[in-house]
Amino acid sequence: MSLTVALSKGKLLAGAEALFRRARLPFPEDPGRRLVVALDGLRFLFVKDMDVPTYVEYGVADCGVAGRDVLLETGSDVYEPLDLLFGRCRLVVARPRGEAADTRSSTLRVATKYARVTSAHFLERGVSVEVVRLAGSVELAPGLGLSDCIVDVVETGRTLEENGLVVVEEVASSSARLVVNRASFHARREEVGRLVDTLSGARS
Amino acid sequence: MNGPSHRLVQVPPGVQCFVGAEARRRRRIEETVVSAFEGWDYEEIIPPLFDYADVFASPGLAARTYSFVGRDGSLLALRPDFTSLLAKIAAGRLADRPAPIRLYYSGEVLRYEPPKAGRQSELFQMGLEHLGGPRAPADAEILAVAGECLESLGITGWVLALGHVGAFHGLVRALGLPQTVADLVSERVEAKDAEGVRAALSAHGASGEVAEALVGLSALAGDRGALAEGARALACCPDAARAVAELREVADALEVAGLGGHVAIDLGEVRGLDYYTGLVFRVYAPGLGFEVGGGGRYDTLLARFGRPMPAVGFMLGLDRLALLLERQQALPPGEAVAADRVDGEALGAALAVARETRASGRRVRFDAGAKEAR
Repeated sequence: MSLTVALSKGKLLAGAEALFRRARLPFPEDPGRRLVVALDGLRFLFVKDMDVPTYVEYGVADCGVAGRDVLLETGSDVYEPLDLLFGRCRLVVARPRGEAADTRSSTLRVATKYARVTSAHFLERGVSVEVVRLAGSVELAPGLGLSDCIVDVVETGRTLEENGLVVVEEVASSSARLVVNRASFHARREEVGRLVDTLSGARS
Repeated sequence: MNGPSHRLVQVPPGVQCFVGAEARRRRRIEETVVSAFEGWDYEEIIPPLFDYADVFASPGLAARTYSFVGRDGSLLALRPDFTSLLAKIAAGRLADRPAPIRLYYSGEVLRYEPPKAGRQSELFQMGLEHLGGPRAPADAEILAVAGECLESLGITGWVLALGHVGAFHGLVRALGLPQTVADLVSERVEAKDAEGVRAALSAHGASGEVAEALVGLSALAGDRGALAEGARALACCPDAARAVAELREVADALEVAGLGGHVAIDLGEVRGLDYYTGLVFRVYAPGLGFEVGGGGRYDTLLARFGRPMPAVGFMLGLDRLALLLERQQALPPGEAVAADRVDGEALGAALAVARETRASGRRVRFDAGAKEAR
């Protein structure tokens, strides 16, 4: 039985492909619309980035590539043995430029895709927040009056800037991680161990 | 929409209902496991469904307990696990029994689980506790019993992943880490994220040989070679080294007894730290992404109930075993034996025939009067 690898078609795909190619591991040429691709002893699943940890946690995939930001949000019970050193970004709090920070004592409204991380972050600081959960284009929220600030990932910071936002605080830093299912790690030790070692040696 | 409200049709999330073949299969799994427990001379105990909430007051469990106020105003809780109950009974009702005491149970526990696919609130657990016995023999015994359960269920490729919380505890104590840092580190060790452990330790200003050993702890996993490696890597910390030596004693015994092929070592297994004091283990098998059961040593729990003694135990989840057996296409048959149909116009005569059939040990479908009903 071949190992199953869960990947997202999102921003980590190019980095994952480069890594697998450097490691001389099979990687689908162009999956197109196919969601499951079997190739030379590996089986690839292409799923939403937020779903990668879930597929791995339940053992549908033996391993996968997921951002640390996504792992923080899903809180999935998986092993994260390797920092794959690509897809680096920061999870930050950003608010409209020029607006004084924390002038209000009432509940802060925060728009984000990362509801769990956001709640935990502000809880730790003793700030009461109302989390406005969005699926995308989070940067728009403060300008349109939907929220006071946002929690989102930034790579270069350009999108924030274009929407009149500035970073006020870093919540966490992130990069792509190799995640491994707990049962596969132990019950398929040799195959999984080989894959981890191969990928570890191919990191740049 | 008309018709009865959904409350009268569906069961609430987290509980389940089993009928016919499915129920029969579960019963067969239970019988197989229980017969292994009986075979190793464990005694069945049927504890109460609820008890005073104080009994279940361990930090991890209290938040997940369904509790309610009894008629006399005392706070009660539906049992969220069996171990605390058995510890209480062993220390109380069975106070005069000399150790070691071997007990097993089979039944439901109820735990509040946050809504998440596949998580049930009502779990059927089968497990045993070995109380007051010598450490290594008791540890080895319960692992052998667990192995027999899996073997006799026809599960293939099962693995007992063994760890020892003493390794983690020893390193954390030697470094003098405050609880908040220790919690963060244990979460990263659990995730096998060595770099995350390093970051947490360096943020606290911990460095040196012992800190490096803690960074490397989660990588001490694999075959028995991980024990030799662990002995070397943890030599800098006597408590952690002792933990590895204890684990090795048990792993060696399993090897000699022919279970070596089913043993995996994982010194980064640090779940349930507030509870376990020595051996910890989880049972995995190909086909299921999470463990079907697990257990460990809890030498301090019995003192809470006034009879300090060492103890070790494990449990297997019936729901997970059924799922695993289904995935491995090894489910026990769910069909009932065919029944003899008994009918006839004269009710009394038909009933007499049915009773005779039963007396001969056969299964009866009593269909007298079936025509009238139609």
